[in-house]
Amino acid sequence: MEFFDVGSAKKTDIKDRYDVIIIGGGPGGITAAIYAVQAGLKPLIIEKALDGGQMNNTQAVENWSGFSSISGMDLSEKMADHARAFDVPFAYNEVVDVELEGQEKAVILDNGKKLNSRVLIISTGSNPRDLGAKGEEQFKGKGISYCATCDGHFFADKHIAVIGGGNSALDESLYLSKMVRKITVVQNLAKLTADKLLQDKLNATGKVEYIYNSVVDSVEGDSQLSAISIRNVDSGNITRLPVEGMFVFIGLIPNSGFLKGKLKLNDFGYVPTDENMETEIEGIYAVGDVREKEVRQIVTAAADGAIAIYHAARSYFDE
Amino acid sequence: MEKRLLPANIVEQVKGVFKEMEGKVTALFFKTDRRCDYCKTGEQLLKELAEINEKLSYEVHDIDSERARQFEIEVAPSIILLTADGDDKGVRFLGIPAGHEFGTLLQNIVSFSKGAKPDLSEESLKKIGAIDSPVDIKVFVTTTCPYCPKAVLMAHNIAMANKNIKAYMVEANEFEELSKKYGVSSVPQIVINDKVTFVGAYPEGQFVEQVLNAL
Repeated sequence: MEFFDVGSAKKTDIKDRYDVIIIGGGPGGITAAIYAVQAGLKPLIIEKALDGGQMNNTQAVENWSGFSSISGMDLSEKMADHARAFDVPFAYNEVVDVELEGQEKAVILDNGKKLNSRVLIISTGSNPRDLGAKGEEQFKGKGISYCATCDGHFFADKHIAVIGGGNSALDESLYLSKMVRKITVVQNLAKLTADKLLQDKLNATGKVEYIYNSVVDSVEGDSQLSAISIRNVDSGNITRLPVEGMFVFIGLIPNSGFLKGKLKLNDFGYVPTDENMETEIEGIYAVGDVREKEVRQIVTAAADGAIAIYHAARSYFDE
Repeated sequence: MEKRLLPANIVEQVKGVFKEMEGKVTALFFKTDRRCDYCKTGEQLLKELAEINEKLSYEVHDIDSERARQFEIEVAPSIILLTADGDDKGVRFLGIPAGHEFGTLLQNIVSFSKGAKPDLSEESLKKIGAIDSPVDIKVFVTTTCPYCPKAVLMAHNIAMANKNIKAYMVEANEFEELSKKYGVSSVPQIVINDKVTFVGAYPEGQFVEQVLNAL
């Protein structure tokens, strides 16, 4: 047995109203909660899966100062424990709707409960993006996966394709390399965009080959995926690659669906804010991956959270 | 001294969670003397948990026993929880709830100590309560999957809401043949009455709809 995670069993009693409700328990949301307590406010974090959010899927975080290398799972736990030490309550639910008009904001949970707050922080993060290849829908869960830690075991000693050449793709490839026989990384550009350090580590496994300037055109199989067709973006030539699995890490989509029609989103679904992280509606802030910005990192999410609370405390609670 | 499964810091966290327990809970553990890679671990886990709080006790039974037939348990290791009144609420674990599923087991234990009242909206309770035919929900998981506990908790809460419903967490690596039979290669994969299959941790309303679709 590798580990035991108490996870959402750490839930606390939830009240009907808080000063600040934070939707999403990743680094942005947790940091906002810590700063809120320090400002004398009562925050609530609502998390739909696990403390730390997407961080849990990262094998090794090597750019959060204080730790030269720490697993995303461990960092998640440390951050959440930090918030708990400050008596921050966590609700483990999914937010299905929000009421953003008027001074008093509300969130509606998937169990039907309605909670109120003066300030709302949207830190819902992002999820892996689909490829959009022919056959993708049909083979989701039948050889196509978007989570290496979840599904890696099912591909022991198999030849798999990893789609994408960024940090996520290579971090997950490194994890998968411990169990699979061979990895073919398919990248749409002429080179990888992942950090050099990560590239070196992956190459050292001796299990990886790369196909550049290529995208997945379609996937095929019987009951399970058995091959993918790769199109060269320059020549248009299509090559068939027999694989038993395909992991997709080509970028992210923001978790902002529940805000559609209620709050201004950009063309890609990200939430625009001003420099204080405040959205077009007073008292509604967006922090971390869900926000419209350039750099999506743990440290920038955390910084967003601090900035949002700094502004909110002075704007809405300073009597 | 035998090697402990639960590290000291986790024991402390479990103590905190179990403070919430009100009544007694019995965990039935089913094992087999035939090949079973995880039976010893499962029994050890329950032993260590029962040592943390006296309100939790456990019984060990063979899968060939009368008790196993009574609860229709055919594979090991399996865990069933019973309330203080000995009520079976249809909550089952096939395989060891370790990793991220450990929290699911703890939450179920606390819930059973309070009579196993389902944590669902009134609307869902009404829909699930009206089901009058048997429902079998399997939630295939791996212990390293961050999204899986939500799906298992949802299935277990749905089982608590209706006597006709049984909900199984299935650890996909321990039960490889069962996983192959259902073509599992992404988790959580949910199979309801062998009729409806979906992948992912759906929010409550959508999960309940899938159960109704399987009737």
